[in-house]
Amino acid sequence: MDALRIPAPTELDSLEEEHFRQVVRAFLHENYPEELRNPPKRLHWSENKPWYMTLADKGWLCPGWPKEHGGLGLSPAKQIILTEEYERYGVARTNDHGIVMLGPLVIKYGTEAQQQHFLPKILTGEHIWCQGYSEPGAGSDLAALRCEAVPDGDDYVVNGQKIWTTLATDANWIFLLVRTDKQAKKQEGISFLLVDMKTPGITVRPIINLELHDEFCEVFFDNVRVPKANLVGQLNKGWDMAKALLSFERIFLGSPRQSGYALSRLRILAERMGVFEDAEFQDRYTRLRLELEDLKALYGTFVAKLKRGESLGPDVSMLKIIQTELFQRITDTMLEIAGENAGLLEPMEGNRNLHPTGQFIQARPATIYGGSNEIQRNILSKNVLGLPG
Amino acid sequence: MSAALEDDARAESIRMIRDSAAAVAPPGGDLSRIRGLRFKAPGHDPATFRQLGEMGWIGLRVPEAQGGAGLGLGEACALAEELGAALVPEPLIPAMLSASLLAAVGAGPLEALLAGTALPLVAWQERADTLEVPGTPDAPRKFLVNAAAATSFLLPVREADRIALYEQAGGALTLEPTQDGGTFGTLTPDLAGASRIAGDIGEALALALDEAALLTGAYLLGGMERALAMTLDYLKTRSQFGKIIGTFQALQHKAADVKMQIALTRASIEAAAATLDEGATGDLRRATVSRAKARAAESAMVVTRQCIQLHGGIGYTDDYDVGLYLRKAMVMANQYGSATLHRRRFMATSPEGEE
Ligand SMILES: Cc1cc2nc3c(=O)[nH]c(=O)nc-3n(C[C@H](O)[C@H](O)[C@H](O)COP(=O)(O)OP(=O)(O)OC[C@H]3O[C@@H](n4cnc5c(N)ncnc54)[C@H](O)[C@@H]3O)c2cc1C
Repeated sequence: MDALRIPAPTELDSLEEEHFRQVVRAFLHENYPEELRNPPKRLHWSENKPWYMTLADKGWLCPGWPKEHGGLGLSPAKQIILTEEYERYGVARTNDHGIVMLGPLVIKYGTEAQQQHFLPKILTGEHIWCQGYSEPGAGSDLAALRCEAVPDGDDYVVNGQKIWTTLATDANWIFLLVRTDKQAKKQEGISFLLVDMKTPGITVRPIINLELHDEFCEVFFDNVRVPKANLVGQLNKGWDMAKALLSFERIFLGSPRQSGYALSRLRILAERMGVFEDAEFQDRYTRLRLELEDLKALYGTFVAKLKRGESLGPDVSMLKIIQTELFQRITDTMLEIAGENAGLLEPMEGNRNLHPTGQFIQARPATIYGGSNEIQRNILSKNVLGLPG
Repeated sequence: MSAALEDDARAESIRMIRDSAAAVAPPGGDLSRIRGLRFKAPGHDPATFRQLGEMGWIGLRVPEAQGGAGLGLGEACALAEELGAALVPEPLIPAMLSASLLAAVGAGPLEALLAGTALPLVAWQERADTLEVPGTPDAPRKFLVNAAAATSFLLPVREADRIALYEQAGGALTLEPTQDGGTFGTLTPDLAGASRIAGDIGEALALALDEAALLTGAYLLGGMERALAMTLDYLKTRSQFGKIIGTFQALQHKAADVKMQIALTRASIEAAAATLDEGATGDLRRATVSRAKARAAESAMVVTRQCIQLHGGIGYTDDYDVGLYLRKAMVMANQYGSATLHRRRFMATSPEGEE
């Protein structure tokens, strides 16, 4: 069979969908490093940089950005196909906060000068971004954030603390939500600020997570001077901007691939443990499979909306809840059938496909980040069901 | 003694055991000692293990005539629960298993074990999730807790229709780290270099394994109680949206569900201990233990998972103690039989409709 020709990046948006899917597969097959497939933990920059740079060199780094800014200009539907294929292939996440969050925000709300300065540096891997929203006192209630930026001449002076900042030790830039008006209603005194992490007064302290991995951090700001030119959008409008960005992101948290992958590992484990044929296990496994199939169908209805060019409503919260809780149930089942292996720290028998404890622990935070499942249920009951309160 | 007086004396004895546990298990919940021992061989402190011996705990179930305390499972479960609440990593349950076995056969290093100066580990397990002891002479013996500290291994070995017991001094041991900071060891038996110390231990070992299963349930129960207590403290102090998060009904109901799981576990464990202390044998013993262990294994996971969720981000850090309870539950929930194994054994040993 002839290898599929991979068209120039600028042509990708015009391909017919199924053809595009085949192209993505061929691209991954040709370019993705085999040893980085399905990594057991989130990779640090030192580990995912080669892949990031490959994407950068091939012009594939920023699928959602418009072409004039160096992106692929893909429609939401094509972006979903791309994500599906990446997930299917077990492609690791890169340090992608610049690509998926900051870039789109600067494109939508940034000045031309900001676009010209920051976007190319994401495209070359010169700027690696992290997301500084959460604070010790502002998690689910993000609008309560207190890290403040006070104007002083041409600068803002930033004081305060961020926490749970994923991969902050890898990043050289951070985008912040900061308080710029303490008198206003809490959502109305928040601004969006870009900060060079080499600025004096910034301290980053890694936090070891339950995987025993230094994935997230605390970031402290002590009289950090940030040029006023680094404010994105209007002063005190940061909240609305950040929120607008989140709604499209939420469908990705509902992608069935994570559960699909976990279910395939559950099967491998069940076979290894010799319980796959047990009637009792078959019933449980089938339940999980059916749940996955129904999740896929529901997910498909949201994707179809995007394809029709509609925007997603608050009911997309359902996807996040169903997906993350299914992921957890699958990994709970792994521990239940693993016997004493449920206590091991490392993969069983040195085999990455037999790592029930790694999958189990990885599934825990999925119901906490991206708006906890309690918060998503609040959204559902109020904004979808119209219940009072 | 009247029955009421006997009950009082028993309750007092259990209370005393709980109080004495404070010597090793700090009631305030300071886990710094436990953190300090994690991920360093052997996974516990041999000096503290000796202390367990000095307290008389390793021989708690061993008859007084053999140097033990001759106490019941009521006391033993209470002790295991206290140690579980404090995540004490010294391998009391495996040591008590060895002590029961050695006391039953009247041989081997019982005295040193009871004193906490020796740790002979019973190397009985040939595969995951089992209570069967095939005694295959050359089969590697798995899941030996903190085996780097073992002073010898007690090997059940099948001889014709009986299981004999051999003691092997050292041996080829491989160690794998466990989530709680300890290790599981795999031992390659070397019968040529081992000494045969008893000829027929099948029944004694089966009984000792049942007791170990029940004690494991009790240890998990202690951990669940402490994890819930920590979580309630957090729910009462953390605020978001200008309110203490414990005022949100969604969280109140989750906490209430956790409480019910713990209450059922306690009831099941205490009933099992009492049934065995009253002398239950055979299928009744097996069914009772299985009921309690199935409950404890399942509840321990439900409870600790939920406690993480109720904490939000901080629950996903290694620094915060609630995660230590999740890790311990991961290691211990399936020891001496998973919930599935015990449910199956319960069905096989507890015929319905005979009340
Ligand atoms: C792995 C991981 C990575 C993260 N990465 C980042 C990052 O890169 N950048 C960043 O800014 N943040 C990040 N976060 C932070 C994340 O957004 C917060 O953890 C999340 O918003 C929850 O906030 P919290 O941890 O303060 O928990 P809290 O908000 O304190 O929640 C505690 C508990 O209360 C519940 N709760 C809160 N309010 C309500 C309510 N009204 N009704 C019912 N229940 C409620 C929660 O669901 C939870 O169970 C990350 C978190 C994790 C776990």
